[in-house]
Amino acid sequence: MRLFSLAVQNLKRKPFRTLSLALAVAIASGAVFSTAAVMWGVERSLDRGFSRFGADLLVVPQGTLVGMRTALLTGEPSTFYMDGAIAERVRALSGVAKASPQVFLTTAEGDHCIIGDAFLVGFDPQSDFTVLPWLRERMERDMRPDDVIVGGRSEYDIGQTVYFYGEYFTVYGRLERTGMGLYDNAVFMRIDKAYDLAEASKRFTDAPPLAFDESQISALLVQIRPTANVDAVQFAIAQHPGARIITAGNVVTSVRQNLVALFSGTVFLTAVFIAGNVLMLSAIFSTIVNERKRELGLLRAIGARRRTLFGLVLSEAALLTTAGGVLGVAVGALVLRVYERTIVFHLESMSIPFLWPAVLEIAVMAGIGIVLALLVGLTGAAWPARTASVMEPYDAIRAGE
Amino acid sequence: MRTHEQMQETRYMSADRGETGAAPNEAPTSVTALVELKGVAKSYRIGDQEIHAVRDVDLRIESGQFVAIIGHSGSGKSTLLSMIGGLTRPTRGNVFIDGENIWAHDDDYRSMLRNQKIGFVFQFASLIPTLTAVDNVLLPNLLGPRNGRRPREEDAIALLERVGLGEKIDAFPSELSGGQQRRVAIARALFNRPRLLLADEPTGDLDEETEAEVMELMLETCRELDTAFLMVTHNRAMAETADRVLMMKAGILS
Repeated sequence: MRLFSLAVQNLKRKPFRTLSLALAVAIASGAVFSTAAVMWGVERSLDRGFSRFGADLLVVPQGTLVGMRTALLTGEPSTFYMDGAIAERVRALSGVAKASPQVFLTTAEGDHCIIGDAFLVGFDPQSDFTVLPWLRERMERDMRPDDVIVGGRSEYDIGQTVYFYGEYFTVYGRLERTGMGLYDNAVFMRIDKAYDLAEASKRFTDAPPLAFDESQISALLVQIRPTANVDAVQFAIAQHPGARIITAGNVVTSVRQNLVALFSGTVFLTAVFIAGNVLMLSAIFSTIVNERKRELGLLRAIGARRRTLFGLVLSEAALLTTAGGVLGVAVGALVLRVYERTIVFHLESMSIPFLWPAVLEIAVMAGIGIVLALLVGLTGAAWPARTASVMEPYDAIRAGE
Repeated sequence: MRTHEQMQETRYMSADRGETGAAPNEAPTSVTALVELKGVAKSYRIGDQEIHAVRDVDLRIESGQFVAIIGHSGSGKSTLLSMIGGLTRPTRGNVFIDGENIWAHDDDYRSMLRNQKIGFVFQFASLIPTLTAVDNVLLPNLLGPRNGRRPREEDAIALLERVGLGEKIDAFPSELSGGQQRRVAIARALFNRPRLLLADEPTGDLDEETEAEVMELMLETCRELDTAFLMVTHNRAMAETADRVLMMKAGILS
């Protein structure tokens, strides 16, 4: 027998009390774990999405900031156009390393499109630096004009034939999942084919034609030379009438603002709950020490040192709250898994991208949740444990007489 | 079992002045008794009133001696016992065990002393309810310096057999009668072969027949182990078998 088993035996004395306390701690640690997992997932998505985005600046038409941000984060179709001549002018700026145009279009509901309201992106393979580098899988040949690349969450298979406005395409490749809606959900095709689709759309009368022509683009993705002054390049681009510049920082900030709005209440409530748990444990362990005063005095009479009693009370609390922590994390993980789709749907409706954390990251968060539960136990029981350890043995033994 | 010499080697036996500020070996008599009390007193303050529970007690107990202290309830005999056992600090005076002033040392020293040299039998049922009889007997092993070494279960079982509970080693206290519980407590008190057994009304809540059995058991085992036995009781008949019988009245030992 060891002191540990004595602590276990003590916890078994009042199973209902032990279970209730463990559940209270489980709720708090489960909330911490779940919240951390979701927030981590958003951060991971932002990091991954923007690191793969590759563009330092995004030039879009004036007044389309919100639409572009939504398109980027959720992949929701958003169409706007500006004069494509801006691409050459920006390329000519000394600090610009690369500038690649993209044009955005949506598919129509009808027999001529395999799916309606899908987000199509035309990109220029010659100047592209944000699509082709992130192909996760592709066919064993070069990309042809009538090929498309699908996002990481697309249900289309490699080699499958899809059709838009009566034009047939082959799914050539699939991008890696990033959690960024644009790259996960959109279908990417050569920009010249996108212009062809605009022409083709005019043949159909059951849907409005695509409202752009070859002289227009939706966005210009710009990569700045490492040695260039970013502010100076931004200033130079901003001189073009009708152009608006979006930086990755703009988008991240807006996501973080949404995130704060969504989770600040949860984080606050969790903090209050944890503090409540500490106080509750402190009160209950004070009662436990009081109930067992005579036993504790007896242990002192048999030779227990002060620190032994201190350790005994802390061990009970640590055991109880760690068990609660493990339970909470397990239930939290289960809830996240069961409601995965709902969570992602709600986050995307708030323009918050999300990518499930990696297994190792989940394990780290689970560890943090359990350690937090342990700390709750140790903090809550610290004062009662001290009280138990400093009692004069004779007074403790005579308790209740 | 650790010997007295081994105990003296511990840091607790250093010449440091302890919590009371008294020197550890201050004025024991030239021939060292197992227990020696010099001017030991205990008083409490309740409001403006000072209660003198024990007044200037001098006492010597030799190894293997059986001393009984009789007195009415509230006469101070339990308080005296607890000061000898290192459970409550005297207001004045010194308690020497094996020549060491126990209250001149720190709390860890007294814990070690209680674990290694002193056994206690209390008036109440003093078993841990969640532990079996054998685990209750093993508690001194768990709490003492042997913690982490071999569990000495065979010693505990032998002691339980010695007190007639060989069939009840795995019984929980709630499954034992009052007399059986007291026997387990005696086995536990004697587990580390103490040099001094302190018993506070050890048969207080037992019937006459069980009382005699328990008393006989304590005396026999103390004789076998050459353990000094100090018992406080209000029962004169029980005290009759003692080598010395002392009377305690209003905190004064005579």
